[in-house]
Amino acid sequence: MSVDLTEIQDSARQISSGVGVAAGEEKTWPLIIELGLLQVSVPEELGGLGQGLSGACALYRELGASLASGPYLSSMLAIDAICHGELTRREHWVERVTSTDYVAAPLAESSLSVDAARMSGVAVAVPSADIATHFLICTSSGDCVVLVPRAQPGVEITSRPTWDTTRRLFDVDFRNIELEPGLTVASGNAARLLIQRLSTHRDFALASDSVGGAGALLNMTVEYLRARRQYGRPLALFQALKHRCADLKVLISTAEALLLDSLTRLDDTIDRHDETMGKAARYLACSAYSRVAEEALQLHGGIGMTSDHSCHLFLKRAMLNEHLGRRSDSYELDIADGMLSTL
Amino acid sequence: MRTDNPETLRPEVRAWLKESIPTGWRAAMTGTDQGSFVRAQRDWFTKLVQAGYATPHWPEGWPGGGRSLAEQKVIYEEIACADAPRLILYFVALYHAACTLLDCGSAEQKKKYLPKILQGEIWCQGFSEPNAGSDLASLRTRAELRGDRYIINGQKIWSTMAQFADRCLLLTRTGKSDPPQGGLTYLLLDMRAKGITVRPIRQITGDDEFAEVFFDDVEVPVEDRVGEEGNGWAVAQATLSSERGLTLVELNQRMRYALTRVATVMRERERFDDVAIRRDFGRLIARVNASCALADRYLLKRICGEEVVGDASIVKLAYSRTLREFTSLGMRIGGLQSQYHQSFMRGATQETGNWVVDFMNSYNWTIAGGSDEIQRNIIAEKLLGMPREPRTWKLSGESA
Repeated sequence: MSVDLTEIQDSARQISSGVGVAAGEEKTWPLIIELGLLQVSVPEELGGLGQGLSGACALYRELGASLASGPYLSSMLAIDAICHGELTRREHWVERVTSTDYVAAPLAESSLSVDAARMSGVAVAVPSADIATHFLICTSSGDCVVLVPRAQPGVEITSRPTWDTTRRLFDVDFRNIELEPGLTVASGNAARLLIQRLSTHRDFALASDSVGGAGALLNMTVEYLRARRQYGRPLALFQALKHRCADLKVLISTAEALLLDSLTRLDDTIDRHDETMGKAARYLACSAYSRVAEEALQLHGGIGMTSDHSCHLFLKRAMLNEHLGRRSDSYELDIADGMLSTL
Repeated sequence: MRTDNPETLRPEVRAWLKESIPTGWRAAMTGTDQGSFVRAQRDWFTKLVQAGYATPHWPEGWPGGGRSLAEQKVIYEEIACADAPRLILYFVALYHAACTLLDCGSAEQKKKYLPKILQGEIWCQGFSEPNAGSDLASLRTRAELRGDRYIINGQKIWSTMAQFADRCLLLTRTGKSDPPQGGLTYLLLDMRAKGITVRPIRQITGDDEFAEVFFDDVEVPVEDRVGEEGNGWAVAQATLSSERGLTLVELNQRMRYALTRVATVMRERERFDDVAIRRDFGRLIARVNASCALADRYLLKRICGEEVVGDASIVKLAYSRTLREFTSLGMRIGGLQSQYHQSFMRGATQETGNWVVDFMNSYNWTIAGGSDEIQRNIIAEKLLGMPREPRTWKLSGESA
């Protein structure tokens, strides 16, 4: 790992050491912006740190480990789109969206259509939409990526509280709104490539969040088993429990290995093959996180059922992660089809 | 160690393999008897030795020796990728025996035995016993020093290919067993010595890859002891760590290439029209690629000297569980057809397409070389810092 990636992780760790695990958005989000973390994958020629998707993923892992709130993933997806899109005055946009403005991108696939420069449909799973200045919207047909100001008439947001309280999701309803020509980020084939890029970024981001969260949760669980005594001995002495923890460790390590190995294989353009790698990383990491979270609660016993303990926060974030990204039942089939298409 | 870019080696190895791999070996090794298997292994071994690809891990001066771990990795990857036969019969000689001798053997022992290994001497391992499996240190085969020879009495089991072996790496008890690791002595044994009986073990696949070996007053000259008397446990560690993660890189790569082979066959048979099977296959692809990435990254860690105790257990457990999943899925996609008896293939990994045999053989990896359960103990204790259970125990109702 380069020194730069270590630095990114160190600054991300300042978030959890500064505000604690699962701290509220009002504490974490200003700190993330202040530390300049949103600049991580912005190319150097646009004034960023130039750490690419690997840099972003190092950040997502750390923030995932501390269950950080704040719409950083959504924001960094939009920033990535702006950096690789065709807006005029990109430097100006990058400057705005890494400091004052928040452009929100949906974390799940939505159904939106454009007809004669007017857009209709609902974008789902848009984090913290109430503080967004704009929305980054990809149309379902795949040939248009646009920015829409939140204040534009016909845009309506509805809060959709989730069990996972570390995210605040919204539906954003677009009622036949007129698109501003100057806010087209990409169209035609360029839009298709950009959407491929963003979906892949989102998959790797969810994988990273999951690997980070699962690792932190397993550590916490092992700590608990070492401290908790029953029958006059620490629970960590029981082989039945040790073996379950060992299996979880293997699960996390394999998901982590696939994630990191895939990231080293990426270059600046994301192609079909990279897209499949992202799907595999996302699939394996999110299912590992769910399994670890499910087991961790059981291994904690009664205390894991209480709202005071942070076990349930990991579980709820893991469960939500499984439903973000692409349609959750499409991953395994896509991975198989990805290989069959190369035969 | 050479420091040049290991990648420069790749085209050369690839070109050589393309020329040299016995054509049609998979078909030739299916349903064959052990005699032809041994001959085929010997031919392939000779070719590899001549090209220097059998002993890249030996020191400089030996054929192809002095290669860095990174270069060895390239050679193994290419061997796997070219789908060459596995050198099963010579593995113990080339790795276990050679590395033990190189690390712990005397100058005379190296001079006497290493050249013979290159000439094709087959070695087997005499470690496990009927009552010393996972708990290897409790072994009881006795070696008693009388004058200038040790007299061996006892029994070994699960010795791979012992029926073909010329020599054996033998771990014996010469002293008290407190602690159990103490009092062990490491010997090199001539398999033609008087008093040795080898009995192949018929396995559930119908094959007999391993054997039991019985010792009845077998004599071993004292100069064939490796290390000091009573220091056998430390020498055995050199044997067990000799492959340094390379085997798992190779096996994982082979498992990855097998995915393509399986996918091709399955598509021909239109098995992928079944969405449930396609979904499970997608899941398997992700797991196989992850297991590969894990083995790969583990070896890179070793190359950088950053390995931690317990890392190897994660790699092995990930591989063994993935292989089980692979062969189970194979049986499912194979359907009733896979249950009909077919001749098995020798010299391959456990993804031959003869799914029931592959499935049965996958237990080689979940049991041998430290069972999955032992690996879980190591991971929990060494990597997660969970305590080890007490050594003493008492069943309730039993007097102390």
